Amino acid sequence: MSKSFGFDTLGLHAGFTPDDRHGSRAVPIHQTTSYMFHDTEHAAALYNLEVGGHLYTRISNPTIGVLENRMAALDEGVAAVAVATGMSAVFLSVLALCSQGDHIVASSQMYGGNINLLEHTMSRFGVTTSFVDPTDHDAIAAAIQPNTKMVFGEVIGNPGLDVMDISAVAEIAHAAGVPLVIDATLNTPYLMKPLKHGANIVIHSLTKWIGGHGVAMGGIIVDGGNFDWGQNDRFPTLTQPHFAFQEVNLWEEFGPAAFSMRVRSEGMYNIGPTLSPMNAFHILQGLETLGMRMERHMANTNALLEFLKNHDGVAWVNHPSLADHPCHDIAMRQMPKGAGSIITMGIKGGRKASQAFIEKVELASHLANVGDARTLVIHPGSTTHSHISADAMKAAGLTDDLIRISVGLEDINDIKADFDRAIKIAQKIDQQKHATKGA
Amino acid sequence: MQVLINNVNTFVSTGGRKADKDAPCLLFIHGSGQTHLTWLLQARFFANRGWSVLAPDLPGHGLSKGEALSSIEDMADWCHDLIIVAGHHKVTVIGHSQGGLVALELARRHPNVVAGIGLIALATAIPVNPQLITMAEDTEPAAFDAMVTWGHGRDGAFHDHPMPGNSHLHMGTRIMASNPKGVLATDLKACAAYTEGETAAASITQPAMIILARDDRMTPWKQGQGLAKAIAHANLVTIENAGHMLPVERGDDVNKALRHLFEQTGA
Ligand SMILES: Cc1ncc(COP(=O)(O)O)c(C=O)c1O
Repeated sequence: MSKSFGFDTLGLHAGFTPDDRHGSRAVPIHQTTSYMFHDTEHAAALYNLEVGGHLYTRISNPTIGVLENRMAALDEGVAAVAVATGMSAVFLSVLALCSQGDHIVASSQMYGGNINLLEHTMSRFGVTTSFVDPTDHDAIAAAIQPNTKMVFGEVIGNPGLDVMDISAVAEIAHAAGVPLVIDATLNTPYLMKPLKHGANIVIHSLTKWIGGHGVAMGGIIVDGGNFDWGQNDRFPTLTQPHFAFQEVNLWEEFGPAAFSMRVRSEGMYNIGPTLSPMNAFHILQGLETLGMRMERHMANTNALLEFLKNHDGVAWVNHPSLADHPCHDIAMRQMPKGAGSIITMGIKGGRKASQAFIEKVELASHLANVGDARTLVIHPGSTTHSHISADAMKAAGLTDDLIRISVGLEDINDIKADFDRAIKIAQKIDQQKHATKGA
Repeated sequence: MQVLINNVNTFVSTGGRKADKDAPCLLFIHGSGQTHLTWLLQARFFANRGWSVLAPDLPGHGLSKGEALSSIEDMADWCHDLIIVAGHHKVTVIGHSQGGLVALELARRHPNVVAGIGLIALATAIPVNPQLITMAEDTEPAAFDAMVTWGHGRDGAFHDHPMPGNSHLHMGTRIMASNPKGVLATDLKACAAYTEGETAAASITQPAMIILARDDRMTPWKQGQGLAKAIAHANLVTIENAGHMLPVERGDDVNKALRHLFEQTGA
């Protein structure tokens, strides 16, 4: 047997062994809510998390389990828990560590949903958040309080595209006895594995590149198993007896997997944002080709960047791989295979021209998602970030002409031709407007 | 629970149950560079079924303080001390790999406290490859990697863990990395230096169970046969399609075999 398999091999095989009875080679869809117990002892053992196996799909399911094991393998974590959406993955991670009166230090430059959850929802339950610039390490260190339970951020901020220096921020968090929790949706384990750089918990929206085809919602929490929860008394949810299991202290009985056990034994039991087995199957189909698709996403991104940089109608282009991007160096060091397939740009003529561009593309799809196999465009100022205050918008690096592009897998010449056409039309509309005004 | 043994703070998992001095006691001893988490699928399982479980972190390992002990003999005496401190007179002792050598030596030195013995993934000697010891001394993470990948069978390589969502390989690596630097080398040297296995095995008169993995690459199945010969009355169970980390790879099968032993010892 090979010592340890490569990325693409794990993507195809990890977490699954065909069974003796049917020999199904693809991962079967276990479309069932519940599982037969062998006897009462077996039932009790499953309830007490003493043995492997499944008892009720809200808690775990064989198809979802393959996805979890496969993601743990790819991200090099000790365990993973898959959930219904990326948002519920973030929520269950917060829930596993934070109680009323606790505090989070979070990046100010995150996906709008992440910001809203922390700023408006968690605060109603007494969990407060200090938002800081993820590239300002002194500010991160200064924001950590005695009641801080995690530092939270994204590797590549959506849609500002700033890049967090994971090992540097991990060091700051660890010096204060706090774990680093990272939303790695935009990089996927193919471009970077934050756990290997010192992060402790990794979250993905599986809805994006990992599923990769825009057909299924999903999220996952990968537990790095690399944080000492017993080093201080900050983490009673992991180091005090668990409400459901007599005297069980998760840190003592599950060690490196304590966090993921808390997620499963509280988040899935008591909240239950369960991924459907069917969606787990769809996401697994995507995961099986993640490596190949990411290579193509990056090749198309690089080619499109070249094209946009040199286009007369483009006011500005932003991507961490560009030499003038403020996070260029750290992006290249952390993600030598590429810094993600999101590009932002503005069209000459400002907000109106940018909106016109979005309405004139024909191949690219105007919709609220990223990481589809197809090329997507959106104007965050009027959509994903429209609920966010002007100050927070500015802090998230958003200008009102910003277009977010999620580069797809189409033939690059077709993407370029579509963009060229739409940019030119947007320019014309803008010029006509000026001409009318002048008359 | 935390107990003081020879004035050292020691962690002993009791399987998430309060220790019960009156219940029949099972003492689980982990292997080289490991911790009590070897017994993830045994400690709580048996504790919740009426046994009093003691699954310690050996000195210097996991959540226990102190220095790692340098000989199997010292570890056996330490286990004897633990049994006394925990208030038991007799235990059924179960050891995995190096922990199996400790169990044999405990039975040889202190036969009166041993009611029965369970030996998992073991031979009468563990002649550790000197290259592995050098690796453990010089480049510990490479040694963890080698042991974790060699230590698991097919399921480990494919991250197909009985607990949903868990990965054997990454869990195995993190457990080993949770020990202070140098502990693995100390353990491996203690294994290599131990030569009393044959004698200790021959001295066993208590009920005995030997559980071997067919695909074990650390203590090969063939060598385990010698142990079975040396303890002539022992029951031998071979588990197919599994590697050295049997207790986590095949928790259900291991527990079934151990139960058979506990019925014999009246534990
Ligand atoms: C970075 C990031 N995190 C989290 C989410 C939320 O994921 P989901 O839509 O699967 O709930 C998104 C979705 O847009 C995202 O882009």
